[in-house]
Amino acid sequence: MKKKILPYLLLTPMILIMGVLVFYPIIATFSYSLKKWKLTAPGDIRFIGIKNYQDILQSDSFWYSMQNTIFILLFVVVFTTIVGCLVAAFLKIDVKWSGLLLALAILPWALPPFVNGILWKFVFFSGYGFLNKLLLGIGFISQPIEFLGGRWSLLLVISIVVVWRSVPFMALVCLAGRQSIPGELYEAAKIDGGSGWKIFRHITLPLMLPFVGVGLTSTSVTAINVFDEVVALSGYSDLGKNILMESYLTTFTFLDFGKGSAMTYIVMLFALILGIFYLRSLNKEVEY
Amino acid sequence: MKYARRTGYIMALIIFLLVTAGPFIWAFVISVTPDHAMFAPTSDLFPKKIIFDNYAELFSGGQRGNRFFMSMYNSLRATGITLCIGIPIAMLSAYVLSRMEFRGRKVIKNLLLCTMVIPVMATIIPLYRMFAVGDMLDDIFWLSIVYVSSYLPMAVWLISNYFATIPKELEEAAMIDGCGRAASFFRIILPISYPIILSVTLIMFLNTWSQFQIPLILASSMETKPMAIVVSEFMTKDTIQYGLIAAAGMIALIPPALAALIFRKYLISGITKGSVKG
Repeated sequence: MKKKILPYLLLTPMILIMGVLVFYPIIATFSYSLKKWKLTAPGDIRFIGIKNYQDILQSDSFWYSMQNTIFILLFVVVFTTIVGCLVAAFLKIDVKWSGLLLALAILPWALPPFVNGILWKFVFFSGYGFLNKLLLGIGFISQPIEFLGGRWSLLLVISIVVVWRSVPFMALVCLAGRQSIPGELYEAAKIDGGSGWKIFRHITLPLMLPFVGVGLTSTSVTAINVFDEVVALSGYSDLGKNILMESYLTTFTFLDFGKGSAMTYIVMLFALILGIFYLRSLNKEVEY
Repeated sequence: MKYARRTGYIMALIIFLLVTAGPFIWAFVISVTPDHAMFAPTSDLFPKKIIFDNYAELFSGGQRGNRFFMSMYNSLRATGITLCIGIPIAMLSAYVLSRMEFRGRKVIKNLLLCTMVIPVMATIIPLYRMFAVGDMLDDIFWLSIVYVSSYLPMAVWLISNYFATIPKELEEAAMIDGCGRAASFFRIILPISYPIILSVTLIMFLNTWSQFQIPLILASSMETKPMAIVVSEFMTKDTIQYGLIAAAGMIALIPPALAALIFRKYLISGITKGSVKG
């Protein structure tokens, strides 16, 4: 009997923390999302079913944020994958200072995302920031460009910063994938007369796909949940807001807890769909 | 051919260095540029005169400097509490989940994994309410517990995968020799798992240092606000002092940058082991 209780007993601290601080809030958020609940009208809290969701799906503001979220998601996923693979290929080249390059490569990943946002704000500063100075200096433009002033250019800058932060993870995962492929496979292929492209197509690509999959899904979840960089680059303004920012503003600026909760549920569903792929690729064993 | 390759590599190296280190260098340049020259309408990249006024203001004990260093201290305290609570719980749970057989093991493991992809915003509204009711808002201890809850899935996953690679025979041999389960955990498992524990510690430290969304909602006083929040306040309140923000940013990135440089081996193995089982 004692043996059967012991595992649960030892897991109690973890179950308690996760239960109270993660699982209960997720369920509570859902119940909030079905209520009319504004802090500005504290006397009027009642169950209204899916009305919050209907209102959200009909509001222009939501679709504006949704477009922004999808723009960031697509840009970040495509460019993180491309640049990540390139950086992995670059880091694989064995030179004397390989270790140092690797350390430098993970730096963007290790920094606080908010500080990342600040670093890049100085580069893309709308007046005479680095990029404007550079472009003016080489005579490419005659007037400074307002990088952070327009919707799409702001989104572009946000996406670039997120790519910069996500590339290290992607590169490391690709590197790990490449290193896990046994060298004998390549030797055998060469003896059999395989050409460079054929070896890549039939050995490197299929064996690395699960690894790239992990990087891809993790990057997608990051891209949906961008928040710190948006604040650093444009403050709590409407211009570059994504759904996460929209839900933050609805909840904590307009104090509409019901609608805010419904919105976070929509974000979560979005993240969860991608997350399922992530979990599945995490759980999959790589076979040779 | 060999020459072309070499040139290609050097080009790649230059681009890599520019893009990776460039933003740091530029932020440093901004932090030592006098205010009036900072965004002056010239295409000169570097200032004619270098000043360290911004750093002096932060270190001289003025109001802003005090707030900034207080916030660094707060981040450090939160890291301490998070690690002291998070690491033992993560190790214990990982051990149980990877070494003991019991009903519901798979379910618990999968539920834990699922929470890895849940965004903070999905739990923060009830947490805010719960903390407001329980008078736990603005308390660095409870704030750290929330951090722990967001790191546990990753930490348990990493550590239990590592434990799974340790041969069971090692423990069995110790137990035959009269070691209890607890003793074999502390004497056998613990000493050989230090690399993964170091990795998890580093990842937890970096994540705590980065916290922004959770404390934005759960912490409001000077005694609890972490670094990123205070720096963001330099940006939005009254006059914006870019030089000061740049200087604060430079100082704030010293701890994570040092950690990444010194412990890169453990960080990299942590990142890759956590992402890919095998």
